[in-house]
Amino acid sequence: MMNTMVRETREVEINIKDVGMTFRDNRGNDVEALTGINLNIYKGEFISLLGPSGCGKTTLLRMVADLLEPTTGSIHIGERLPREVRLDKKLGIVFQSPVLFDWRTVQKNVELPLEVMKFSKSERREIASSMLEMVGLTRFSEHYPNQLSGGMQQRVNIARALAVRPELLLMDEPFSALDEFTKEKLHEDLMQIWAKTNKTVIFVTHNIQEAVFLSDRVCVLSPHPGRLSGIVEVDLPRPREIAVKSSARFNELVLKVRNTFDGGSL
Amino acid sequence: MMNRIWGKTRTILPLLLWILLFVAVWEVGALLVEASKRTPENVLPHIYQIIEAALNPKKVSSGESASQLVLSSAGLTLGRAALGFLVGTICGFVLALIMKISKIVEKVIFPYLMIIQMIPILGMAPIILSITGDINTSRIVIAAILTFYPVATGTLAGFNSVEKSKYDLMHIYAARKIDLYTKVLIPTAIPYIFTGLKIAAPMAITASILVDTLQGDKGLGTLLSQSLKHAMSIYVFWLIVFFSAFVGILSSKLMGNLERIVLPHKRIRVSRAKEESI
Repeated sequence: MMNTMVRETREVEINIKDVGMTFRDNRGNDVEALTGINLNIYKGEFISLLGPSGCGKTTLLRMVADLLEPTTGSIHIGERLPREVRLDKKLGIVFQSPVLFDWRTVQKNVELPLEVMKFSKSERREIASSMLEMVGLTRFSEHYPNQLSGGMQQRVNIARALAVRPELLLMDEPFSALDEFTKEKLHEDLMQIWAKTNKTVIFVTHNIQEAVFLSDRVCVLSPHPGRLSGIVEVDLPRPREIAVKSSARFNELVLKVRNTFDGGSL
Repeated sequence: MMNRIWGKTRTILPLLLWILLFVAVWEVGALLVEASKRTPENVLPHIYQIIEAALNPKKVSSGESASQLVLSSAGLTLGRAALGFLVGTICGFVLALIMKISKIVEKVIFPYLMIIQMIPILGMAPIILSITGDINTSRIVIAAILTFYPVATGTLAGFNSVEKSKYDLMHIYAARKIDLYTKVLIPTAIPYIFTGLKIAAPMAITASILVDTLQGDKGLGTLLSQSLKHAMSIYVFWLIVFFSAFVGILSSKLMGNLERIVLPHKRIRVSRAKEESI
């Protein structure tokens, strides 16, 4: 009860209303990827979009990022459309693959969006250095991406996304290609970075434990057609440490998420 | 330290083996030719005979020894090959850029590129010569045409190899077209361009020599045909064969070295950082 009351006073940052997406496949048939999505995302919230492949979670994220346009419904970020927010350069994105530029050093990779956005040389250097410090890669700033491990590359990716000081951080399965140990370390680091920056984060994943550990709320999506089955509020205290994963409450929440999921014809 | 020595040996050993095998096969052939032909030096002389000819200070033609003659002609031919190579590289790159910017241009032009590539140089050379009317210009044009195709297709392949996620990233940053090209597409294409250049460099040299043979002027090709027609020692021919093969390999190597200078991240083989913890 207490929780709901607190939430109502919170500021809505993203309003997703009746959003649906229909693709046309190779044979010319219409495929409904998403249907009837209604969701409010609050300012400063860490929210996960969780579901199996084909549930449209990445599609939804790409619509918020203005990489796709919804066929029905609308998305507003504040008062603005995703396109306006993007053109205003207020979006940060982290993809599953690090998408780094081989020929640029770590430092120059983080500076890339700042170059595009016409920051001065000294500003670029300063911002990129502080971002690298935040993700713990100061020592490797002059290395090239092919000299780094997968986990380190993904840290560079996060540093680059944050370098533009985005209002919104969009993460599309950023850790799914990493091993379990690296993943846990990055979970903890991401939590610390998030606490420091207070960004709104939309985190796409197919890993239930990951979603519960990181999020304030977990949106469970089910496939065929992609739809929102329910939202699970995660009331684990913050800051969270790895140990919380063995607590009874954590396991209850994992079970609750699992039960919210509607497999249908999976 | 031991590792470094072993590393060096490992790179030199195959080369030594290769040279040894080459000499062995050549000499077996030379012995067979010697036993069966009347003028074996016209078919396959011994390697020592070629080396002897190279070192022999005896004047062969117009007051120059065989080696001097080859080297003085080489400057002319190689200079034109290099100029044509440069022109071809620039044209190839620019055309690939235009084809990338406009799909229509790509669809219209690409078949013509293929056709140009399929015409043998021997057929193309007289046509170019009659169009330009000048052997010097022809050499440059032919070398340029030969360079042009591998560079254009290489560059285009490089542009098309850029992953969709990089476009997405630049889209999110609201990057302008010019930034997409200068910061993503062109740097990605550079290794592909060098692949084209490594193929094109020896081709430009070969083509330049071939064009020389068309019309008596100076140059390696002219010397080559004179030697073959017995206007001078046949060993001049053999010297040119070895010299141009050597320069051809060297030109390709040179492109490889240039690539490593331009792309510092290609130099790094051992990834030290990977060994350390994340």
